[in-house]
Amino acid sequence: MSEQVAEAGVSLKLNEDYCSNCSICSSLCPFEAIKRDTETGKTFLEIEKCQVCGICYSTCPAKAIDIIYYDLNSLIKYLARAKQEYDCDTLVIMCRGSAPNFAGIEELFGVAKFIPLSVPCVGRIPEEIYLNAILMGIKEIYVLACDEDYCRYDRGSPVTGRKILALNLLLEQLGYGKEAIALKRNSLKVKADKDLCIACGNCVFYCPYDAAKLESPGGINFDLTACRGCGLCVAMCPAIALELENWEGESISTLISKLSSEMEQPKILVFRCQWAVFPPLDEELAPNIRSIDLPCAARVDNFHILDAFQKGIDSVFIAACSEEDCKQEKASGKAQHSVAKLKERLGQIGLQDRLHFCTVAPRYPEEFDRELEQFSQRREAIYSKVSK
Amino acid sequence: MIVTTQKPLDELLDFISTYSNILIAGCDGCTQPPRGLREAKTLSQLLELGGKLRNKNFSFKTTTIAKQCDYYLVASMLKPQLEGVEAVLSLACGIGVQTLAELFPEIPVFPAQNTHFMGAEEREGAILEERCAGCGDCLLALTGGICPIARCTKGLLNGACGGSKDGKCELNPERDCGWILIYEQLKKKGKLDLLKEFRPPRDYQLTGWKVST
Repeated sequence: MSEQVAEAGVSLKLNEDYCSNCSICSSLCPFEAIKRDTETGKTFLEIEKCQVCGICYSTCPAKAIDIIYYDLNSLIKYLARAKQEYDCDTLVIMCRGSAPNFAGIEELFGVAKFIPLSVPCVGRIPEEIYLNAILMGIKEIYVLACDEDYCRYDRGSPVTGRKILALNLLLEQLGYGKEAIALKRNSLKVKADKDLCIACGNCVFYCPYDAAKLESPGGINFDLTACRGCGLCVAMCPAIALELENWEGESISTLISKLSSEMEQPKILVFRCQWAVFPPLDEELAPNIRSIDLPCAARVDNFHILDAFQKGIDSVFIAACSEEDCKQEKASGKAQHSVAKLKERLGQIGLQDRLHFCTVAPRYPEEFDRELEQFSQRREAIYSKVSK
Repeated sequence: MIVTTQKPLDELLDFISTYSNILIAGCDGCTQPPRGLREAKTLSQLLELGGKLRNKNFSFKTTTIAKQCDYYLVASMLKPQLEGVEAVLSLACGIGVQTLAELFPEIPVFPAQNTHFMGAEEREGAILEERCAGCGDCLLALTGGICPIARCTKGLLNGACGGSKDGKCELNPERDCGWILIYEQLKKKGKLDLLKEFRPPRDYQLTGWKVST
């Protein structure tokens, strides 16, 4: 982590001393957060628009961009540590947006044992990391990116494609063989159980991408090329007829049980939208806090929240993007509404304080930590009072 | 659609307090918002948590059927699931609850919801509004497709009462005046002359209590 950036309270900084105003970053930024002033010719950053995708960081030839999350040093440190920990020489770099979380990597690449490196967008990985990994003795590198038109950061996946193409040519010349780095694309998709579907049309209404089509007669059909795997329809289906491939409710439930068994009191379970919170690679949570990263806050099903309470979790904390920052077309707002509804019902049995929803953005790295800290202090105070 | 709202959890907990094995039966029919498997499961989780706070351990089974107002379906699909069940919590409208109560005389059947009216869903604003009063003598052809019985607070048949203000009802300023809606609709359709037609008082017997299919 670059300390200089952290001091400023933001996640990204443009270092004017190094910047040569080459415009690569401003031409690649998917959010128009980096621009070049036409009069002065200077490049400048509007942090409010920045989503910290890191594409600028990984492509800047002058190393003029400082970033907090997954910068070169922390990635190298992670690789060195993980190589020992996992004791193998296969590396899988994956975008969280497309990576199957519980199973599926093995199926996709045919590797059973590997060092996982999961980041929000593989477009943020600088070329040096691939070369460093090879230098460290890593024999096989697999990269899992999203389908190009599915990339939440618009250019992250295409940029990765070009980077790997160039790297592979270079590596071939150096004698590392053809296609030393293997790139695959994948996207999360919904799957429907037509036997359970009651043709209510909820998914059609809620889908931000018009992927759900209800025909009469004929029932529900999903256009999987349009589906972006946010899981909003899954959480809204009254018939429990939908699942998100590799994010099945069942596996989240198993994970909740596992986490609950290793937590101390008062147990706080955090559901994080992976676009709202970028956890550091060496993240160490307090012994009473565990987290589950989800493709979108909309994937937080009421079942999961109640399931957690049933399994002895004291409280549930949900961190989502604000509606403006939501990478899933306002799914965050729908998630908030649904959590508010559940909170109302929890209030009827006096449990409303155990559910907390907040919106945070990775551009302000302290936001999430502060919010969680405050919530956890509140719960700890209540817990120590009650246990006395 | 038959519009329902969830009863408060403590009321439900009171209903079931003396039972342990409870079946929560969803209805995929016309209850709105949907009260299918998801609601059944969510409710079971909430009641289990609520029960624990009252030092009571419930055991729930959840299921759903296409419509609880159908004797045949209830008898053939729900009845076989009653083994070991001491009480049923029905997620159907009042009609479904009555069907179940009649068909399962030996088991207490409780409504999990309050039933309100026949209404339409406006999903954007998450609002459901009454649209049909089930009068047995449909007037919609004469009123531009807007029901004066359901939409006019006073259920007037022959035009506005004169108390409307800014298009809203004098009895409830949040509610649209049904007759202004009718007027605007007829104007759009070029059928304002329909307003001149006199409609005699309703025959309340037409509502009926029984029809044969």
